[in-house]
Amino acid sequence: MITFSNVSLIYPHSTKTILEDLSFHIEEGEMVLVMGETGSGKSSLLRLINGLVPHHTGGILAGDISVDGISTRLVKPGSLAHLVGIVGQNPIQGFVTDIVEEEIAFGMESLNFSPDVMRKRVEEILDLLGLAHVRDRSIATLSGGEQQRVAIGAALVMHPKVLVLDEPTSALDPIAAEEVLSILHRLVHDLSITVVIAEHRLERVIQFVDRIVYIEGDGSTSIGSAEEILRTAELVPPIVQLARALNLNEIGTSVREVRRNTEKFREIEVDPEPRPLVRNEIAIEIEKVSHSYGNSMALKEISASLHKSEIVAVMGRNGAGKSTFLNSIVGLHAPQSGRVVVNGIQPAFLKGQERRTAIGYIPQEPSDLLFSTSVAEECRQADRDNDVAPGTTESLLHRLVPGISATAHPMDLSEGQRLALVLSIVLSGNPEVLVLDEPTRGLDYRAKNTFGVLLKEFASTFNRTIVIATHDVELVAEFIDRVIFIADGEIVADGSTLDVLLSSPAFAPQVAKVMSPKPWLTIGDVLSALEKTP
Amino acid sequence: MKRQLHPLTFWICAILIAIGIVSLDNAAVSIAIVGATAILVYQRREGYPWEKSFSLSLKFGLAILIIRTVVGIVIGVPIPGRNLFSLPIVNLPSWMPGIRVGGNVTLERLSSSIHEGIIIATLIALFGAATSLTSPHKLLRVTPSFIYEVGITLVIATSLFPQLSTSATRIRRAHTLRGSEKPSLRRIAIPLLEESLSRSLHLAAAMDSRGYGVSKKRSRYRPQRWLTIDSTYLSIATFLALAMVIA
Amino acid sequence: MKTRQIFEFRGSARIALVLTTTMSALAFLWPYFISDQIMNPQWIFLAAAPCALFLLLASIGSESLDSKSVALLAVLVALIAALRPMGTGAVGIEPMWFVLILAARVFGPSFGFLLGTFSMLISALFTGGIGPWLAYQCFAAGWIGLGIALIPAKLRGRSEILVLALYGILAAEFFGIAMDLQFWPWALGTGSQLSYVPGGDVSVNIAHFITYHFVSSMAWDIPRAIFTASLILIAGKPILNSLRRAHTRAAFATPIEFRERVTQLKEAR
Repeated sequence: MITFSNVSLIYPHSTKTILEDLSFHIEEGEMVLVMGETGSGKSSLLRLINGLVPHHTGGILAGDISVDGISTRLVKPGSLAHLVGIVGQNPIQGFVTDIVEEEIAFGMESLNFSPDVMRKRVEEILDLLGLAHVRDRSIATLSGGEQQRVAIGAALVMHPKVLVLDEPTSALDPIAAEEVLSILHRLVHDLSITVVIAEHRLERVIQFVDRIVYIEGDGSTSIGSAEEILRTAELVPPIVQLARALNLNEIGTSVREVRRNTEKFREIEVDPEPRPLVRNEIAIEIEKVSHSYGNSMALKEISASLHKSEIVAVMGRNGAGKSTFLNSIVGLHAPQSGRVVVNGIQPAFLKGQERRTAIGYIPQEPSDLLFSTSVAEECRQADRDNDVAPGTTESLLHRLVPGISATAHPMDLSEGQRLALVLSIVLSGNPEVLVLDEPTRGLDYRAKNTFGVLLKEFASTFNRTIVIATHDVELVAEFIDRVIFIADGEIVADGSTLDVLLSSPAFAPQVAKVMSPKPWLTIGDVLSALEKTP
Repeated sequence: MKRQLHPLTFWICAILIAIGIVSLDNAAVSIAIVGATAILVYQRREGYPWEKSFSLSLKFGLAILIIRTVVGIVIGVPIPGRNLFSLPIVNLPSWMPGIRVGGNVTLERLSSSIHEGIIIATLIALFGAATSLTSPHKLLRVTPSFIYEVGITLVIATSLFPQLSTSATRIRRAHTLRGSEKPSLRRIAIPLLEESLSRSLHLAAAMDSRGYGVSKKRSRYRPQRWLTIDSTYLSIATFLALAMVIA
Repeated sequence: MKTRQIFEFRGSARIALVLTTTMSALAFLWPYFISDQIMNPQWIFLAAAPCALFLLLASIGSESLDSKSVALLAVLVALIAALRPMGTGAVGIEPMWFVLILAARVFGPSFGFLLGTFSMLISALFTGGIGPWLAYQCFAAGWIGLGIALIPAKLRGRSEILVLALYGILAAEFFGIAMDLQFWPWALGTGSQLSYVPGGDVSVNIAHFITYHFVSSMAWDIPRAIFTASLILIAGKPILNSLRRAHTRAAFATPIEFRERVTQLKEAR
């Protein structure tokens, strides 16, 4: 279906070869994962399939790419719309209209389909993707999962043979991600559509894919079945790390497979190591806080105390009240009833320099805080804002991500580097409390690990409290002590990460699923338990 | 829920009646028509933001009426006739030559100013009513296919418009929480601009992938249909306009 | 082979631009030359402006507006339309002009023309500003975008910002005069001492208009001009920088090359 022969690519105004002499062939009805670190050229590879690169971007393309026998040299991407559907990284950025139905019909309108055909196909797609109930809604009001399904629908409506998706689940909570992936799985199996997908969160997709194209740091690529590639690859999901750590002969890609191979490990009897929660001085005291928007209650009499040097994750589905909870802590608004006190101060009254040293806040889009034309200028500005010695922010940044160019434009950085920049800006003021809203979207494993280590270090060396709203269960399992789980405006669970994550199947990390009912969340847990067995 | 009319219906009606009003040139009839329009707008209101344009247009028309009347009184060219009252004549500085402020105000002078004002205010009210009664989104959906690209640009802009103000609020909030309560223009504008621009590049790629600009001809999904009720409105307007032109 | 160039008026569209500009310029300037023989001249020219606008939009054939121009236009139009109502209430605080001027500077005068025109259309649709004046506003804003062609393309750095700020003052004043000119016959009719005189001497009409303009709206135009110019001076540099980066990333008119083998590629470097 898709053939790459000796493909290399150079973008305009650049001398770097993105892909080196890449050749592979993808069969009809295959689901293929493109894997590699940030900046390795995954997106470029995806956009080569329908000719966006180089027809849209310019550049030099060596070798040949053909899709269903058509060479992308000869036709523009639009003429391949009936053959290749492509869903971009952030679907809402690619929407043309604001009504679901009209969005789905857009491609057919521009290709002059007759109105009856359009009508019929739109109905098919609405049913296939379960979007009929939102057909005349404004897209901006839909949830992330629904938006992603609209984007997939808008591509599928052209009846393509190939569907290309760039990180379709990175912005979704685990449940919405599951929905989207099961739709993709069905498309492959029922309609024999070829799916090519790039995704950082390997743990989510790995069980569905047939083969992997792995782009390594030096630009070389390997192609093979999921097991083959994962056996040697550097970037692997936790489930494979587990298999490696346990020296299993076979590497499985699904929880079921690995469970079969690890039965003997679950038989051992070890007393679970008690992990006491931090019980230092209280830093944040939340007492019976309620908040409502119009008629809907977003928080219902919530109480919690967070301690110094504690890292707390706030989890829950979208719309459960996480954001309102975070907003109360950072003092975006005074609580309508109840009381929030952060280190003796009510956060809603904090202003200016006092606020910067009391609470550091990393917004969901870190780039909201960036407004300069270079990294160095951004750091200097932060030194001035935080009233610290010149160079403080920059040296902190270089510790987080060594080798970042001081003259680079902040918007040209990768997601991970940008998060690091914003973290340095906020942390150079050494705030008493750090609050982060969904910080790990778009980060690969390596960046996430650096980030997690940094958080732990900051909390323990400076005795600081960190609150982090996240969907990322693997991050929580690895680095976070305590989880507050919010549903429908109420705290439904508040306890050690172990207790809270194990009790919820949707939010359990992969290792826990494999090792259930043993109370192990991470590979570290498993190994230390095994060491203790005679 | 009122019956949805074709987005062009009220616009065509407004234009027809406007032609009638200009050719009839009768203030009393104009006021009657504004009254009728007001009732129609009131009955068909559904709480959309664009519905406030009718009252805006009324205010604007009133402003014109007042300006013209005041101008007519103060610096109007005298029309001979029955003298109503006199204003003292003010001497202007020498750099504003040839203008006489004040003087006698005649009934004819006053009524001609008010009359013209009413006609213009009526026209503005008519178009205000058409705007009030038609969803701009629907109006953009009927842009003729030979200005398809223009239509698409406007459609995208209208759907982005509310999202941009959401983004602006979000960015402002991020800066407030960073301790800059009154962030400088730059702190808000640059992130907003960067986000918008990168969004436009994603959008362009998405449009290209989905077949934009491939076919010279385009079709329309679920085109707006012209219903009997549209014809009814249109014939009433035509009849009114004809009556006014002939009269 | 190259990727598409950003939108430009070419060929027939350029002719249409000249024609419709003339037509709508007449619709602004008619009080200066109209004879007293014509009945209801204001109505004729009122109809002429929207017709000219429609003709112009129709002439932008399907070929010339590519996806990148459309997307950039749409985003900037939405941005300007979102900025426009920010000024309501405060005298002359209209931040839209400086965005229009800077965007026209980076993306070119043709693009600037469409940006001005579309911004007026969209903001009118959403703020209830549709009325007889809309087509005039569209053209006036369009010309402000188009007029950026007067500034030498090579200018960069501080002198560029200064020239743009100067242009901002002129543009804001131009828009004020244009709107006044268009509104003049409507606000005053023919029967006042500041009105146009059908068939009258041009100098008389100009004198009347200048006095009218001075009395009616200078108080708006001067703050608007100062505001626009100071925004350009304050925020011009970083915004131009962002726009230029977007222009580069959009890869307009960028070469596309196809080679056979990777070895050739390596030689090319």
